Amino acid sequence: MDLFTGEIVRVENLRKTFTLSRKQQRAEKTSLSRKVAVDGLSFSAYRGEIYGLLGPNGAGKTTTLRILSTLIKPDEGDAFILGHSVRKEPQAVRDCVGFLTSELKLEGFFTPDYLFDFFGAMHGVDKETLAGRKRELFSRFGIDAFSQVKIADLSTGMKQKVSLVISIVHDPDVVIFDEPTNGLDVLTAKVVTDFLGELKRMGKSVLLSTHIFSLVEKLCDRVGILIDGKMAEDGPLDAICGGKSLEERFFEIYRGIKGDVL
Amino acid sequence: MKLAALIKKEFHRFFRDPRLIVTILLPGIVIFLLYNIIGSFVNTQEKYDYKVYVTGGAEYAGIVKDAIEADGSGSTVELIFASEEEGKAAVQKGEASALLVFSENFTPAAGNSVQIWYGGSEESLSFYTVASAVLQGIAQATTFSVEPHSFEPEENFAKQFIANLLPFLVVTFVFSACMSVTLESVAGEKERGTLATILATSVKRSHIALGKILPLSCVAAIGAASSFLGVVFSLPKLMGADLSVLGGYGFGSYALLFLLILSFVPLIVSAIASVSTLARTVKEASGYTGVIMIAVMVLSIVSLAAASLGDWVIAVPVLNAVLFMGKILGGELPVWQSLLSVGANLIYTALLVWLIAKMLSSERIMFGK
Repeated sequence: MDLFTGEIVRVENLRKTFTLSRKQQRAEKTSLSRKVAVDGLSFSAYRGEIYGLLGPNGAGKTTTLRILSTLIKPDEGDAFILGHSVRKEPQAVRDCVGFLTSELKLEGFFTPDYLFDFFGAMHGVDKETLAGRKRELFSRFGIDAFSQVKIADLSTGMKQKVSLVISIVHDPDVVIFDEPTNGLDVLTAKVVTDFLGELKRMGKSVLLSTHIFSLVEKLCDRVGILIDGKMAEDGPLDAICGGKSLEERFFEIYRGIKGDVL
Repeated sequence: MKLAALIKKEFHRFFRDPRLIVTILLPGIVIFLLYNIIGSFVNTQEKYDYKVYVTGGAEYAGIVKDAIEADGSGSTVELIFASEEEGKAAVQKGEASALLVFSENFTPAAGNSVQIWYGGSEESLSFYTVASAVLQGIAQATTFSVEPHSFEPEENFAKQFIANLLPFLVVTFVFSACMSVTLESVAGEKERGTLATILATSVKRSHIALGKILPLSCVAAIGAASSFLGVVFSLPKLMGADLSVLGGYGFGSYALLFLLILSFVPLIVSAIASVSTLARTVKEASGYTGVIMIAVMVLSIVSLAAASLGDWVIAVPVLNAVLFMGKILGGELPVWQSLLSVGANLIYTALLVWLIAKMLSSERIMFGK
C-alpha cells in the first residue's frame, strides 16, 4: 500500500469464473459451461474516498465486492486491503472491512441493541470498546430511540439504519456496500446515502456497487465502469464524465464496447 | 467468545420467544392429552370378576390377584389351580378369563417364565393387560420372562404393536422437534443474508457450525423430551394399564433410553442443518428434509423387524437407536450395544458438523445462484 498516495485498496488483475448449471445455461442462452464473471480487473481506491463500481446486471460488481470481502476467492490475481491479501490473509482483511448487502434482512425477533452486541462479538470487539461504539453510533445515526425495539416492529428505514451501523460495528477502515439502495423506497434510500456521506466525513473508505447513475454522481469521488467483467473506465468522476452527464458517458462507453445493441 | 456469542444468540431466539417455547413443548402435551383420551375410549377401566386358571406358582399368582384387586377398579380375581390343558380349554370356551402357567418350581429368577394365555373377550384382554403389567414389573427386577399367548392372535398383535411402537413414535417426535428448530435457524439465516454477514466477519466456519448445532440440539432435546414424556406417560393408559408399569424399568433402562435419545437428537439436527446449509431457501430445505424424514421413518420401521440382525446394526444411525430403545422397553438391558450406538451417533454428528463447516466455506454452496 502506498502510504503517500493514501491507497487503501488495490485490486490486481482479478479473474473469477463460475460453473453454469444447465438451468443457468438455458437462462443465459449459452452452451458454455463456465462464465467469466470478472476478467483481469485492476483498480485502486484511496483513503477517505467513496469508490463506485458502476455497471449493468451481470457486469461482475457483486463478484468483485464479494472477493474483496473474502466471501469468495479469485481464480487469478489478488486484491489487497490495507496491505492484506484477500487470498493469503482473509482473516486480517475481515478485521478491517465492513460488508453489507442490500439482500440482508435482519431477524425480526432481535433488537438493534442485541444485534449490535452480537456482531461486535463476531468481530472480536471487547465489551468496553463495543459499549463505546454503540453509544457513539446509535447517537450519531439516531438509533437510541428504538434500540430496544424488536426489528420486526421497525420501519424499513430504521431497519436499514441498523443494518448499516452493524456493518461498521468493529470500526473498519474500509466499508463495502453491495447495491446499498437497491429496492429501497426514496425515504430509505436517503437514509443510506446520508449514512454513506457520514462515513466519508468519518474518514472511512467506501466501495459500493450500483447501477444508479445519480447515486454515483452524488456520492462517489472515483468510479469504475464495469462491463462484462472488464474495467471499461476507471478514474475520478470528473475525469470520466469530461463535462457530460455520467449516464451519457456510460452509454457512450457501453456502445463503444458492445456496439449499438440498445 | 465468538462461539459463545453464536450459541447465546440461538438460545436467545428460542427462550425469549413464548411462541417458540409453546411450539417446542406443545407436542408432548398434545400427545399426552390425545393418547389419554383415546385410551379412555379404548380401555375404559371396568369392573370385572376374573376367573383365572393357574398351573404352578401359587405364591406369585396370589401376588397378581392382590395387585389387581387393589388397583381401585373394584375387580375381583378367582384363582383356580388346575392342569394346563384344563385351563386352556376353559379359556378357549370362554369359561375363564385367562390361564397363568408358571414354569416348574418357579422362582422369580432368570431362566424361569410365566405364560399368560388369554382370549379375545374384553374381560380376557383386560386381565392380560393388568396381569402382564404386574408381572413385567416384577420381571424387570428379577429377569424371569413373561410370555403372552393369545387364542385371538390379531388382538394380541394389536396390543404388542402398540408396545413396539414407542421407539418409532419417539423417533418421529424427535425428528419433528429437530425439524421445527433447525430449518428456520439455518436455511432462514441463509435466505435472509445474515449468514453471509456473519461469514464476512473473522469468525471460524467450524464455530458457526458448532454455534448452530449445540444450541439447536439442546432446544430440540427439550422438545423431544416433552414428546417422549408425553408418550411414556400416556402409553400405559392407551394400553389399558396404569402408570405403575413405568416403575418396572430401572434407572439403568431410563439412563440408556435418554442417552440414546440425546445422541440421536444432535445427529438429526446436524443432518437437517446440513441440507439447510445446502439449500438456498427454507422452502428448498423443507423439501430436502422430507427426504431425510422418509429415510428415518423407513429405518425406524425396518427396526421393528430387525431384532435378529447382527451387531453391525450399531453402526447404522436411526436403526441403532430405535432397535436398542425397543430392546430396553422390552425388558432387556443392552448396555454396551447402546453405548456403542451412542458413540456411533456422536461420531456421525461430528462428521456432519465438519461437513457443514466445509459447506460454509464453499462459495458455490453459499453464494451460487
